Amino acid sequence: MIAERTAGFARQQHRFFVFCVAPALAVLAIVTLLPSLYLLVTSFTPLSLTRPETLWDFSQPLENYRQLQADERLHNSVWVQVKLSFWTVLLQLLIGLGLALLLNVKSRLLEALRTVFLIPMVLPPIVVAIIWKVIYTPDISPMHGIFKAIGWNVPSLITDPDWALTAIIIADTWEWFPFTMLMVLAALQMLPQELLDAAKVDGASPWQVTRHVTLPFIQGVLLVAGLFRLIDSIKAFPLIYILTDGGPGSLTEVTNYYSFLQAFNFSYLGFSSAITVALLAATLLLSWLIVRVVGWGVRVD
Amino acid sequence: MSTLRRRTILGGALGAPFASLAAPAVHAQGGKPYAGTTINGSCFQTTYFEYLKAYFPQFEEKTGIKVNFHMQAFPVYNQRTDLELSTRGSAIDVCNVTFIYSGRWIGAGWFTNLDTFTKDAKYTPAAWAPEDFAGGAQSAMKNAKGETFGFSWEGGAMITSAARYDLIEKAGLGMPKTFDELIKVCDAVHNKENVAAFTADKLHHWNWIPYLMGMGGTVFKAPPENLTPTLNTPQAAKSAEWYANLLMKYGPDGLLSYSDDQAMRSQMSGRANMRTQAITWSVPLAKHAESTVRKTVRFGLMPAGPDGNFPGSNSHGLGIPAGSKKKEAAWEFIKWALSKETIAMVVKEHGYPSVCRLSVIKSPEFKNVLTLNGQDVASLYLEVLELGGKTGYMKYRTVPVYPQVGDKINKAIERVATRQQSAADAMKQAQAEAVQDLQKAGIKIDKG
Repeated sequence: MIAERTAGFARQQHRFFVFCVAPALAVLAIVTLLPSLYLLVTSFTPLSLTRPETLWDFSQPLENYRQLQADERLHNSVWVQVKLSFWTVLLQLLIGLGLALLLNVKSRLLEALRTVFLIPMVLPPIVVAIIWKVIYTPDISPMHGIFKAIGWNVPSLITDPDWALTAIIIADTWEWFPFTMLMVLAALQMLPQELLDAAKVDGASPWQVTRHVTLPFIQGVLLVAGLFRLIDSIKAFPLIYILTDGGPGSLTEVTNYYSFLQAFNFSYLGFSSAITVALLAATLLLSWLIVRVVGWGVRVD
Repeated sequence: MSTLRRRTILGGALGAPFASLAAPAVHAQGGKPYAGTTINGSCFQTTYFEYLKAYFPQFEEKTGIKVNFHMQAFPVYNQRTDLELSTRGSAIDVCNVTFIYSGRWIGAGWFTNLDTFTKDAKYTPAAWAPEDFAGGAQSAMKNAKGETFGFSWEGGAMITSAARYDLIEKAGLGMPKTFDELIKVCDAVHNKENVAAFTADKLHHWNWIPYLMGMGGTVFKAPPENLTPTLNTPQAAKSAEWYANLLMKYGPDGLLSYSDDQAMRSQMSGRANMRTQAITWSVPLAKHAESTVRKTVRFGLMPAGPDGNFPGSNSHGLGIPAGSKKKEAAWEFIKWALSKETIAMVVKEHGYPSVCRLSVIKSPEFKNVLTLNGQDVASLYLEVLELGGKTGYMKYRTVPVYPQVGDKINKAIERVATRQQSAADAMKQAQAEAVQDLQKAGIKIDKG
């Protein structure tokens, strides 16, 4: 009797949860899944805004995907994306981690400094892009002014083929290292004091404490931060739009920027959708692989 | 019975505040048949409409039509309008017909045929004179049948400006009339008094083409009928090499990232000397309060190449989107904004240089406004406009696929200028990419 009542209560509870979650799921489906589904459907058409008859033309559903394979500029954009993502994520993790470890001390001055370091991250991306546009434009740049004053003739970084991508990497790293720093700092605040005390009692040096206690403890957080940054790096847009326009040539043209050009400058929505679907699939696959290989971290108890 | 659509709801929600503001005028009919109507206008950021906005109350007083007019940055405007027009929505009642998109927008049937208004005395008095608009400027506003879908408010005529002509004089030279002379002048004045000899913005598919044509090259085989790209010719490679050298050898550092405004300001601040660009970007050197070169600037025709002189000319017009539900009211606005009187007023009071009404251009006031440092710039302007209209060499620019092909040109010139590729390879790549894009757009091109 009691067991039946318990089971009944559990069913009711389950129904209640479903009832509560259903509206949110419905909204999620409408605002997220439907557009994604439409994107997928569109990618099977040659949809061009100037040719309305192409909207439901499924006569060659895989044509866009065939063209993806032959499009060298797209392939170049993928390679640019790989380089950009690798360097920005790596640098953001290293700088964010390093600063978090340095700032994880109880001091009013350092607490204030933490807030200062967060500023780039909370600025609107377009403002960040404009700041770096000023820094990288020789005529008005304080950086170039200083270089000139000391007799060092530095070319415009955003138009120099050897420096353009590096210039974007520097700006992106500056904007987003605080994210890693913030996450690591939060994790460090959770690190049990007993673990550190125990390590010290065992005679561990600061480096050994960091290597064997702190880093394993925050490994999961670093992975999450890295994943977030990786996904976000694939969405890099404002910096490229404002600073280089994908140039010089196509040296800083990442895949999503190329997709944007196809859709909104040339009206090839079908082709652009195919690029976006491929990009989405690659991002999901990459995230899954990283989680599989690295895992979510080991909790040190 | 009409169907309730998302656009209707959004439009209603957006329009409600304005409708309530305009409510008292709804009944004020009489000589104002469109009183109480609110129209939405849109254009890219431009001084013409900045100036004109100050006179909107006059129009509203005269017609009872309220105007919401929005301006955005050039690329943003084009992208948004491209999308809006493609949906045949009614959010915009009057908007700019951008030159480079005119072929696409008009060809796709996204604009209203304005002949229905100009040929009907009920809408347009004969004195409004649609034939008064410069032929070259108007050619981009027409379809293949010669029907009109826009009226030009801006005529871009490419001329040469020398911000520090004093340096050129000091070198014993004059305004360059040929490509060779341009290089000679650049050699003579480059970096004199820390002034770069030449400047340009990054829109190479506009700036470079006169140099391409001057050296015997073309963009397409025979636009608009045959759109086979001709970017891999020896002439195109030679011209690309020559132009990239002009930019990199004589331009200020960072020039490849310059916007229109940055290039203009490099001249206005006296950091760069010469530029070949539309008159709209050149006249401020002599007129703008912030210009430091007002007394030293001089103007001239675009230099000619071995194969002739092909200064760029373009135009932007006002048109009525096909989806607008307030076409008559929108036409009232165009009629007022581009009337002889309004244009003459903007010229007289603000010195606006690039208007398209011949009667205004040929007027003593216009000549007076555009006599700069003793030079008759008005004549230069008219000469370029007529040149573009007569020979039709600007047709390449109004074909529907020019945005795509133009992008390939921009990239190719950047690759040549930054030595990523030789000119021949860069143009060969541009040709291959352009062909691929045109095939994607369903355009038939010659084989081989």
